[in-house]
Amino acid sequence: MLLMRPRFLSLKNSLTAGILLRRLPFIAIGAAFCWSLYLGMDYLLTFIRDAGFAGEIISESLFSMIFSGLFFFLILSGIVTSLSSFYMSADIRFFLSKPIPLTCVLRLKLSEALLDSSWMVLVFMPPVFIAYGLRYDAPALYYGIVAAGLAMVILIAGGIGAAAAHLLTRLFPARRSRDAFLGIALLLFVVLYFIFRSSLPAGPGDPEEMLNSFMRFRSDSRLLPGYWMTEAVFPVLRGLRPGLSGLAVLVGCSVFSLLAASLAGRYLFLRNIGRLQPSADVPGRSPLSRCFPRRWAALFYKDAIIFFRDTGQWSQILVIAALIAIYLHNLRSIPFDLLLAITPFVREVMLLVNMLMSGLILTAVAARFLFPLVSLEGEAFWVIRTAPVPAARLLWSKLVYGSIPVTVLITALVLAADVIMDIQGPLHWASLATSLMLCVSVSGLGIGMGAIYPKFRHAGIASVSVSMGSMAFMVIAFALVMATLALETWIYYLWETGRGAHTFTVAMSVCALTLVILLNGAAFFLPMKIGAERLYKFT
Amino acid sequence: MISLNNVSKAFGGLTAVRDLSLSIAPGEIFGLVGPNGAGKTTTLRMMTGLLIPDTGQIRFGEYDIVREPLRAKASFGYVPDRPFLYEKLTARELLSFVASLYGVGRGPAIEASGRLLHLFGISDVGDELIEGFSQGMRQRLLFASALVHDPRALLIDEPFIGLDPFGIRTLKEIIRDLSSKGMSIFLATHSLHIAEEICHRVGFINKGVLVTIKAREELREIEGGLEGFFLRMG
Repeated sequence: MLLMRPRFLSLKNSLTAGILLRRLPFIAIGAAFCWSLYLGMDYLLTFIRDAGFAGEIISESLFSMIFSGLFFFLILSGIVTSLSSFYMSADIRFFLSKPIPLTCVLRLKLSEALLDSSWMVLVFMPPVFIAYGLRYDAPALYYGIVAAGLAMVILIAGGIGAAAAHLLTRLFPARRSRDAFLGIALLLFVVLYFIFRSSLPAGPGDPEEMLNSFMRFRSDSRLLPGYWMTEAVFPVLRGLRPGLSGLAVLVGCSVFSLLAASLAGRYLFLRNIGRLQPSADVPGRSPLSRCFPRRWAALFYKDAIIFFRDTGQWSQILVIAALIAIYLHNLRSIPFDLLLAITPFVREVMLLVNMLMSGLILTAVAARFLFPLVSLEGEAFWVIRTAPVPAARLLWSKLVYGSIPVTVLITALVLAADVIMDIQGPLHWASLATSLMLCVSVSGLGIGMGAIYPKFRHAGIASVSVSMGSMAFMVIAFALVMATLALETWIYYLWETGRGAHTFTVAMSVCALTLVILLNGAAFFLPMKIGAERLYKFT
Repeated sequence: MISLNNVSKAFGGLTAVRDLSLSIAPGEIFGLVGPNGAGKTTTLRMMTGLLIPDTGQIRFGEYDIVREPLRAKASFGYVPDRPFLYEKLTARELLSFVASLYGVGRGPAIEASGRLLHLFGISDVGDELIEGFSQGMRQRLLFASALVHDPRALLIDEPFIGLDPFGIRTLKEIIRDLSSKGMSIFLATHSLHIAEEICHRVGFINKGVLVTIKAREELREIEGGLEGFFLRMG
């Protein structure tokens, strides 16, 4: 506990009224997100449970799947945070030089890794479980068991993550093992997805087969904490006694996992630390690397060089590529011809869903790559800050650098989806124009907000993209996407249904289109302007 | 070349610098010394445009750092006390990049990079990534990057951190040489013996107030030299 004091004291000292007041908008956005998560889960459970017996089974499987998904997320997150906490943190050499037993240092670093890897789950998952509790009218015992179970799942995943981090660092130096891990994670994710995807029927055409696959999924996952958790919790939701066997396995596994992490740390940590030395890499001598273009193009060129040399940045593209491949695979497996027989508007609906999904991907990609661009200057920002470079020019350079690949990616995604869904004519052009507009406005929003909330002292791009500013950006960007699509859908609805007089339709369309342009224009220009004004005030 | 007129800066209720006025002529080496927290770094940060003064003016030649920041910044080079640089660039790339920011042409930038890397004794690691550099090598590279656009003034915060005796001697010679060619040099430091050795004039700052300015000749007449004066002032 003594070693944790600096962290607690830092937290206490940063909890001033002024700081809390400044963070109030973020807290409000986070609370709104939690509330919408609760409402969404509540609606989903109501919808599922209306299906009677099958609904109950799906609800139980969903609970199990949520925990299994969380478990994988926590393991991945645990490896990354353990690598940072054990091998890259600034205080590790300080602690090792003090007369402190190694086990205490290892315990401290494991606690830090557990906390850092699980805070998002702890903040954003309670609404989901509360929705379950309220929908099933569960007793107070349910909440206690869910909280204890969640804590044990975090411990199991954290222990596995820490042990894996020690082993990976034994095989590679810490920075490289984090990069290698990303590849492994990606592969694991894709394999798991396709196994899961292939176990489900292609469409909703055969409800019996769909139900069977859900049941199969659950029974196939006996080795996952999601299953043990469901065994422990679901009887309580049904008014029975908790499943003690599930709880016992959770407790046993969490103890074992922590012991494994502790043993791996004890045997490997000091050996690994001894191997970590800065390398003097000599990159290939390219004639281009000596000739920087002039002024703002130099900023662009510098960012591009650093991007390709820092594997921590570009390796994440693989994750995004995998996500998009999975999404398109999913889209291809939808039986449009079958669905067209049910409703004639299925293509339009699917186009809207695709645009929403593309907007979501755009938001996530922008939060990962565009929002942190200013912060990525890091503590070397003084080089630009003291040079004759206006803040606006810096932001425009970042915008051009970041928005081109994002625009190409999202436009290609929309184009591919249009081809798969056989969308043609005005709808096709409208979808392309909308995606282009959203790419530009979300890019401006991301770069601008990144300049308004920069984080120059960071441990990597990942820590910037999960900051409070980044969360706020994601929520605002997705709200912009939804507002744009809602207005455009309304225009389409007015024209397609032909309700009201022609002049009314024209007038309303012009108003809605103007509003779309104003919204996107404001989302682009305002943050860029405020960002340019505020950026040089930070020192 | 450099002039500060009644410059003040406060952070909340704490006045870091109060009514500071001084001027530095072309070719002059001016040292600012003072105890920790005296206001040296705040003064330098205002001079470089990293902080905006609450009152007063800071000018480089005819350019005011607040009103015409781009022209003012183009006229000086800055060496900060902490050697943060772009870790994934090579030394040569960093110099080319900085030269580009200042609008130096391609040919002169390549020539200046090669010359400065050689001058500071790091030409053999010019094509290595900065992430592998020692603190001394970073400090040398910082100086090279501050000089790549051939500035008229040089602002230095703690110039000799991390340098070995050879590095310190080389740097002293380079500073003297730059001064003899007409460059104004402002350095904030704790190293009293070095300030006494190379500065033409030394200013003493304490609790944000410039107490006095002494020429090198005047310091020699003081009992205990600069160190004696510093201790009595503290």
